[in-house]
Amino acid sequence: MGASLPPKEANLFKLIVKSYETKQYKKGLKAADAILKKFPDHGETLSMKGLTLNCMDRKSEAYELVRIGLKNDLKSHVCWHVYGLLYRSDREYREAIKCYRNALRIDPDNIEILRDLSLLQAQMRDLTGFVETRQQLLTLKPNHRMNWIGFAVAQHLNANALKAVEILEAYEGTLEDDYPPDNERCEHGEMLLYKISLLEECNLIERALEELHKKETKIVDKLDYKEQEVSLLAKLDHLEEGAELYRILLSMNPDNYRYYQGLQKCLGLYAENAQYSPDEIERLDALYKSLGQKYSWSSAVKRIPLDFLQGDKFREAADNYIRPLLTKGVPSLFSDLSPLYDHPRKADILEQLILELEHSIRTTGRYPGRAEKEPPSTLLWALFLLAQHYDRRGQYDIALSKIDEAMEHTPTVIDLYSAKSRVLKHAGDLPAAAALADEARCMDLADRYINSDCVKRMLQADQVPLAEKTAVLFTKDGDQHNNLHDMQCMWYELASGESYYRQGDLGRALKKFLAVEKHYADITEDQFDFHSYCLRKMTLRAYVEMLRFQDRLHSHAYFHKAAVGAIRCYLKLYDSPLKSTSEEDDEMSKLLPSQKKKMRQKQRKAEARAKKEAEGKNEESSVSGVSKSGKRHVKPVDPDPHGEKLLQVEDPMLEATKYLKLLQKNSPESLVTHLLSFEVNMRKQKILLAFQALKQLLRLNAEHPDSHRSLIKFFHKVGSMPAPVTDNEKLIWSVLEAERPLISQLQGKSLIEANKNFLQKHQDSLMHRAAVAEMLYTMEPEKKSEAIKLIEESTNNMVPKSGALGPVKEWKLKDCITVNKLLETIIVDPAAALRWKERCAEYFPYSTYFEGNRSSAVPNSAYNQNGSANHSEGGQSADSIAVRNICPANRLQLIEENYAGVLCTKLWFPFEIRFTFPTSSAFPNCQGEENSGCILLCLEQCRYLANSGERILAIAGCICPCAYSTLCRYRGYTTGYKADSRIGETLLRLEISVVDTKQMGCIRQADV
Amino acid sequence: MVCIRKATIDDLLAMQACNLFCLPENYQMKYYLYHILSWPQLLYVAEDYNGRIVGYVLAKMEEESNECHGHITSLAVLRTHRKLGLATKLMSAAQNAMEQVFAAEYVSLHVRKSNRAAFNLYTETLGYKIHDVEAKYYADGEDAYDMRKELKGKKVHGHSSETGKDRGEKGGERECEGGGKSGMRVRGKLGTGESRHLCDSTGHVLYKPGHLST
Repeated sequence: MGASLPPKEANLFKLIVKSYETKQYKKGLKAADAILKKFPDHGETLSMKGLTLNCMDRKSEAYELVRIGLKNDLKSHVCWHVYGLLYRSDREYREAIKCYRNALRIDPDNIEILRDLSLLQAQMRDLTGFVETRQQLLTLKPNHRMNWIGFAVAQHLNANALKAVEILEAYEGTLEDDYPPDNERCEHGEMLLYKISLLEECNLIERALEELHKKETKIVDKLDYKEQEVSLLAKLDHLEEGAELYRILLSMNPDNYRYYQGLQKCLGLYAENAQYSPDEIERLDALYKSLGQKYSWSSAVKRIPLDFLQGDKFREAADNYIRPLLTKGVPSLFSDLSPLYDHPRKADILEQLILELEHSIRTTGRYPGRAEKEPPSTLLWALFLLAQHYDRRGQYDIALSKIDEAMEHTPTVIDLYSAKSRVLKHAGDLPAAAALADEARCMDLADRYINSDCVKRMLQADQVPLAEKTAVLFTKDGDQHNNLHDMQCMWYELASGESYYRQGDLGRALKKFLAVEKHYADITEDQFDFHSYCLRKMTLRAYVEMLRFQDRLHSHAYFHKAAVGAIRCYLKLYDSPLKSTSEEDDEMSKLLPSQKKKMRQKQRKAEARAKKEAEGKNEESSVSGVSKSGKRHVKPVDPDPHGEKLLQVEDPMLEATKYLKLLQKNSPESLVTHLLSFEVNMRKQKILLAFQALKQLLRLNAEHPDSHRSLIKFFHKVGSMPAPVTDNEKLIWSVLEAERPLISQLQGKSLIEANKNFLQKHQDSLMHRAAVAEMLYTMEPEKKSEAIKLIEESTNNMVPKSGALGPVKEWKLKDCITVNKLLETIIVDPAAALRWKERCAEYFPYSTYFEGNRSSAVPNSAYNQNGSANHSEGGQSADSIAVRNICPANRLQLIEENYAGVLCTKLWFPFEIRFTFPTSSAFPNCQGEENSGCILLCLEQCRYLANSGERILAIAGCICPCAYSTLCRYRGYTTGYKADSRIGETLLRLEISVVDTKQMGCIRQADV
Repeated sequence: MVCIRKATIDDLLAMQACNLFCLPENYQMKYYLYHILSWPQLLYVAEDYNGRIVGYVLAKMEEESNECHGHITSLAVLRTHRKLGLATKLMSAAQNAMEQVFAAEYVSLHVRKSNRAAFNLYTETLGYKIHDVEAKYYADGEDAYDMRKELKGKKVHGHSSETGKDRGEKGGERECEGGGKSGMRVRGKLGTGESRHLCDSTGHVLYKPGHLST
């Protein structure tokens, strides 16, 4: 290195390297320039200067210098190494590997380069190369622990676990008997557990168990030791020992379901499909009863029997399970029971049971057959549970009446508002759901969960700007507007992408979907640093698991959604490229010309403002953003915040194919993957690829309406193509001719017959009928009225319930909307679409899409009647949809009535009280901070009195500015507040000013 | 009702989602990876009957101080799953592992002074005591209680925290990769360089440069 230089310059060269390592780039640059003054062509110096500049964000100069450096000194491993580092810093790993290989050709035993190469090979999963490099490193430096471990891991990754074991044992052979010293016991233990897991992987179970027992004293992690041991015992069919050990594990953690499952397996009482014989059920019941006595604090042991018990025994167990949880007021009870609804019998039993409990409490204040009185809140939680039950069963009006009753009983429980919001969402009233969620949010502004819940609902209701404004309350980060993207908040990006897509704003939608895709690329990148870190840390099992996780990363649900969303955007873009300047036609076409003009003006103004802001930021940052080291720490401002550039892609199908490939590789079992592949390839005229997608669809689910649609569309299209001319076309033709007879749906049938056949098979299903109608219209456009008749003659039957017909109809809201869109945009018959809409409005009275008479889309609906002003921050939800609202004064009164005598006892205080003040203009007699501060203090007093460890009083949401500012300060203060002296006072009489929104100035004394 | 078990790599995305839904202090995926690849024993999740992650604890060992101790980086339970004692169960599991595997002498955490619910959980249920007050600890200017709980960490063996130092002093033999003579490393540092993103549930900067490098 720097060998060709005279001593003075050689020293300077060392200084460059050192400065680079210590990140003193300016110093390094100076030294480099000093050498270059005398030796302007010195390759290694030029390279190092380039590398230094790379760290100072001067990329293009860096590449230029490094390339010149290399040209001047092709025989220098330093120059090649630097070139490799440059590529590596840009994530161009394949290029970097090439450079390292060249460097190694010159200096084959260079340890640093070998190490760097091995990291890249691990990252790129060049496993054979990784093994080779690791072997070479071990040969060169066998006295390094890491080189042994690294070689073993490489062999393991390269599917040679047995070899890995041998290497680890050879390594152990080099250790002294008293190894490890105290401070390395953890790491050594990890290594041993890794080795044992390798033996297990090789199916050498007995040897693994033997080794485990032999090394027991050296394995520090006793929990992992036991878990490993029990897994081996089970595999060896040592069931008694296994069961024994599972019982020990359960005594350590009786809430781990896997231990219960393992124990059942060892006892021969486990069935994958959860179907058990009466005898087995009895034995299981006995098992869990005995376990329940031992682990009375475990909730798992009480819940699991509900899965296998049947009939009366189920009813009894469910009764015992539900009662204490209602008394305690456990909000997640329904979600805990919800898997039982997959068994219709059990759902019916639960309905009966909960109704009986509700009735008994309502009439006697007690559970059936009990002497003790239940606290008033038990009724509230029973109603809450029932509401969710009816929601699940699709009986939305009963669900809403139950939840409304609960709200009237105790208007201060936030969960009720969230639950009601969920019911409204399911029933199809998205704006009302968002408004309710916003009301819940305002009841505790400090709780991010209800904020997120509200944001989610707003996005579902396509209120994106409002959603963003709401989310930002928790995501401001310094001067950054919000950190949702930086923090990889993918649910948010997906939900807003989907909303933009629904609204036809493809640019913004793509922006969000691609942002999620980018997170996954970053996560892949994240593993890089761990290739060397984990070998040092010895967390080898976790490391290998991490690599395997990374290999299947793109099969994760969020990625799947993002890729599907992006491909759909590109498909739309391809189908209507003219709209791409601004995807507003859908929306705009409905507006009057004057409105259109206004909207355009508004848009233009907003854009100008955004642009100005962005520029301002850019300027600021370029002035202040250069730090001492010379590196700029500025986040570049996004040049395309609204995704407009994304819309200007030349070939949308090419872009779509990129993401399609990832889906095909990672989600091959998803119908959507092949459906999209079909659509993309049809547009690209890639007949054989489209056919391949079709075959996958038929393989996965030939009876799915979309599979049928694709089948007919495909052969219809092929049939209408001109006769083949080129060799290529002839080849495609011959493939299809050979394949067509193999498709059972088409054997001996014309397409029209196949379509009819499909109809006969699925007469009673709306979505199948719609698919048949659509295909009929596609093949024979003159039969439009017949197609429409097919849809209109579908009947919406009752869903059978316990043998008889239940109260709920079959059709799903989502499907009905799809059919409406089909009539509107594909079959294009406005009259039929309108008829359909009116019909569905009957079925879905809460649906805003169909303008059902109970939805917020209709001015006089139930949810718009007693709407007093909503206290959300002036969002559109508050303006347009007034939600049933109980005014603060009445809230207090209701609580007093329902909780007379129990409210402020020390023992029991289950709910949150909140007081919402109207805005300051509605608060003329506000006495400044003292007033609100006093309220807060008093409430705090209550909290102390009822000190139960739960969050009892959330005092938030005061919109009166002075109350709000007090609240803000309050969050931070406890000193100066002499809590202790006040606890003693049994101050139960609190003076609370509650101002009704409507009756301004009304002041009320409340006895709490 | 809810399964309490050790977290696996496959849980990390769900843990991140849970964190983003409930808490104002968030981290990039790499920070979760850093935890599980350093102390796989200290991450626990609460998984509901439908397989959804409804709570988690993310914890670490402080390896640079003299006393061997654990630290709770982040603890969250979905609002919908309160009143089940999940936080307590998660905390106990992590604390047991700190004690048993790493022989931690104590475990520390930070909590907002105004967060009474959490404060009560730590003091009443879990036995934490206020060790110190850190003024203006949070981005919004609020103070934090620095809380600690003694563990019965036996001094039978040390833990990996000392090894880093020892190794450095011994020099050569187990010198770590990457830091060779020419030392041409571009990376090796964890994180984005933006410390705000690497902080615990309370906004405290946890990442110190060099955690991941040699």
